[in-house]
Amino acid sequence: MSSISSPVRQDLLLQFEAAARSAAASIERVPYSAESLAAAVKRIATGRIAIAETLDLPPDLFADLRKLPGLVRGRSKEELAACDVGVTEAFAGVARTGSVCVAVDHDYSGAISLLARMHVAVLSAETITERPGDLFNPRYLHGKPLQRNFVFITGPSATADMGPLVRGVHGPHQLHIIILE
Amino acid sequence: MSNPATVASPRTVANKSEKPALLGAIRMALEIESPAVRHNTQAFNSGRYLATAAIPDYDRLKDQARATKEAAIARLPELLATLEASVKGNGGNFFLAKTGEEAARYITKVCTDHQARLVVKGKSMTSEEVHLNLHLEAAGIEVAETDLAEFILQIADEQPSHLIGPAIHYSRERITALFKKRFQTDLPLDTGEELTRFAREMLRQKFLNADAGISGANFITADTGSIVLVESEGNIRLTSQLPPLHIAIAGVEKVLPKREDLAPFIELIAPSATGQGLASYTSVLTPPMQAAPALSDSPVQREFHLVLVDNGRLQMREDPVLHEALYCIRCGACLNSCANFQTVGGHAFGGETYSGGIGGSWEAGTRGLLNARFSELCTGCSRCVMQCPVRIDIPWLNSNLRERINECDLEKSGSILEKAAAAQFHAKAPLPKIFFGRYDLFGKWGSRLAPLSNWINNLPITRALMERLVGVDRRRQLPPFASTTLSSAARRLSPSKASSCRGKAALFPDIFTNYGSPERGLAAIEVLRSVGIDLVLTEVSADGRASLSQGLIKTAQQQAQRTSELLLKYIREGREIIVVEPSALAMLRLDYRRFLPHDVFEEIRAHSFEAVEYLWRILQERQLNAADFFSAFRHPLGTRLFYHSHCQQKTIGAAAPTEEMLRAVGFDVATSGVECCGMAGSFGYKKDFYDLSMGVGEDLFNQVRATEAEGERRTLVATGTSCQEQLHAGLQRKVFHPMELLAAIRATAEI
Repeated sequence: MSSISSPVRQDLLLQFEAAARSAAASIERVPYSAESLAAAVKRIATGRIAIAETLDLPPDLFADLRKLPGLVRGRSKEELAACDVGVTEAFAGVARTGSVCVAVDHDYSGAISLLARMHVAVLSAETITERPGDLFNPRYLHGKPLQRNFVFITGPSATADMGPLVRGVHGPHQLHIIILE
Repeated sequence: MSNPATVASPRTVANKSEKPALLGAIRMALEIESPAVRHNTQAFNSGRYLATAAIPDYDRLKDQARATKEAAIARLPELLATLEASVKGNGGNFFLAKTGEEAARYITKVCTDHQARLVVKGKSMTSEEVHLNLHLEAAGIEVAETDLAEFILQIADEQPSHLIGPAIHYSRERITALFKKRFQTDLPLDTGEELTRFAREMLRQKFLNADAGISGANFITADTGSIVLVESEGNIRLTSQLPPLHIAIAGVEKVLPKREDLAPFIELIAPSATGQGLASYTSVLTPPMQAAPALSDSPVQREFHLVLVDNGRLQMREDPVLHEALYCIRCGACLNSCANFQTVGGHAFGGETYSGGIGGSWEAGTRGLLNARFSELCTGCSRCVMQCPVRIDIPWLNSNLRERINECDLEKSGSILEKAAAAQFHAKAPLPKIFFGRYDLFGKWGSRLAPLSNWINNLPITRALMERLVGVDRRRQLPPFASTTLSSAARRLSPSKASSCRGKAALFPDIFTNYGSPERGLAAIEVLRSVGIDLVLTEVSADGRASLSQGLIKTAQQQAQRTSELLLKYIREGREIIVVEPSALAMLRLDYRRFLPHDVFEEIRAHSFEAVEYLWRILQERQLNAADFFSAFRHPLGTRLFYHSHCQQKTIGAAAPTEEMLRAVGFDVATSGVECCGMAGSFGYKKDFYDLSMGVGEDLFNQVRATEAEGERRTLVATGTSCQEQLHAGLQRKVFHPMELLAAIRATAEI
């Protein structure tokens, strides 16, 4: 499929990876295929896994994922809260901040990305844009973000309210980003 | 140290409309809350400097955000109508509450109509403002604060002490003690991890069982009815999306025209607030989310209410000064960059809900003028001015609040003597304000009568009287009046030996230098003339700094007018204006925009320089080697310096040239990293604020000690007069002005 060819976008990808890491996310690049995506998730995910439907990515890209052991099909908040891993598509990435954007009202993506201890965000490299403000630009992704309910996710949930910085508060302890290229 | 039994609790001093409560709050904060507040605000502060420096177009974003806010507040009534239509069009409910009471009642009714028994809440200052929890609980509804800081405050029954970190006054140790007492648990609660896990598990159950979620909103867009929620814990996402009912409460000022307008705000808020690129979660939602039932497990339509609160805001909008506070996006940058705030936090420097420099305007607007009495803790040091992402001139707001409170105080409780003084000086203010605000007069007479005046000033009886009548703390050493003022001393100097004229300038003898420390001015004259500057002295004139700082705004306005006329005469002769005292220079370069026509202000601003700044500029322009004139190795006290630049000097960009110059001539310069020394002009002389002022100074003194622990002693150098006094008070050592160093080097050269 598509690869990152122009030097500018390669720059963005590198910037994205560095920023996401400094925001305490883990990150890896994986070839654009259902097979390699499933293999990547399998390597890091154990226990009960909830997987949201794809949004802009083709649905069959997640087909192999659904064959993983521990797949949770239910969507009640109790079932989702009991999951160990939640996998969602991220329809955009932000290079400067290392953020991924998730459409929260698409097949429970909000809950799936929040309630489990680990969130795996699947991001297509070509959607990475330079800065957060781009999500409000009508020209970016044909203006789709302007219509969506979404969240910029930058690293795992965190707090310093109890004194030192602690990761994993009401949301995931770990954010793992899989970049498809 | 006062007896612990007499130390106030935060709640009892939440209302600081009367002065004793304010003073009690300062004592409490210094004794209990200061270390945690200092640690947390300073961490935010250094994070913000790093994060904003990483934004290449930071200034452009700020301009854009400011312009959007100005337009939005100007069009607010129209935007509210558009927003109402958008929210209703989306299938939500819209309620505009005239008062806080009305907002709290509406929300309580929505909850009781839903038979809600448990409500989860995200952090919302507006909900604090309207006392929402009290209303809900009175209706028998359990309220679970889910932001961990708010969770702490709910257990402790305290008001927030910071706009974005409401419990920053709690150390980890104090949280452990609080939780152990409240929950009587054997679970380990001795680390941040353990405390967080404990709270997470308790609150996870609340989320799963909640009947309604109440959040605030950081931004709201009129065209689409969207809200933005910024957080790092995830509790606001759960609050707004898990229960079947979501209520968002926010002040009317949060409305922006279009969803596209969000771009600069999203990019500014987290760097300004916590020093992150973005907070962990920034949600952009257009509720109720209809496309899918989202986080709810029931297929029923989710319900959404947007409750916008007026509660004085629309009146603030009409106020010629306070309307600027409505641009605030509540990032807390002004709190974190404030030396006084760093030392006491928002339980002293704050009201019932809103804290810090910006908090005064908010408390005045939503609760009443006297609730802003704590804004007295704004020294006008101006460190917040460049940190505000929407460029609010917070010291100006506070000077105006001070003017209004002065007038109130004089009318309410002024003695006959005070009223007579007020009439005499044409300033409706209590005597201490007039005393400090009119240093131009006291300085003039003090100098004329010196040394007699200094002898009288230091008599115990005089100090006791001064403490009682005008509030000068007797523990402070008073800077003596100069028996020979700068202007009279300069007359005796030989005129410029203009062998080679490298620049034409006029030194403006500000009142502090003229009456208080003429030696600094004389050193500047000697140094500048020695490098071939054709330098004259202007007449003495009060620039307005002292009066502005005490809220004597009309006096400051007149003084600015007179001073500007005086200076323009010299500027139009082709001379640059040299100012020794940075606070006076900051008047010319920053504050005069409030007092003078734009073109006059611009002309003065462009031609005014701090003395070393001007010298460095001339040397650079002429490509002269500074070390040829002032080799540090000839300085009798050696080359090791500790340099502290003045707060306002930093703000107007006049600190870096001195550092560059001193290094260029060979000094080994260690610099202070504090925002302000704590003296802040007259602030530290006041009996009410002496302990706070010394508390602030402690950071600076410790930096000197830490730097010197690594090596030999350093010569102390400061550009501001009051910084010099503060360093002297804290370390009992002589402090030099940079020009005095340079003059001493010249003197050795001439021998």
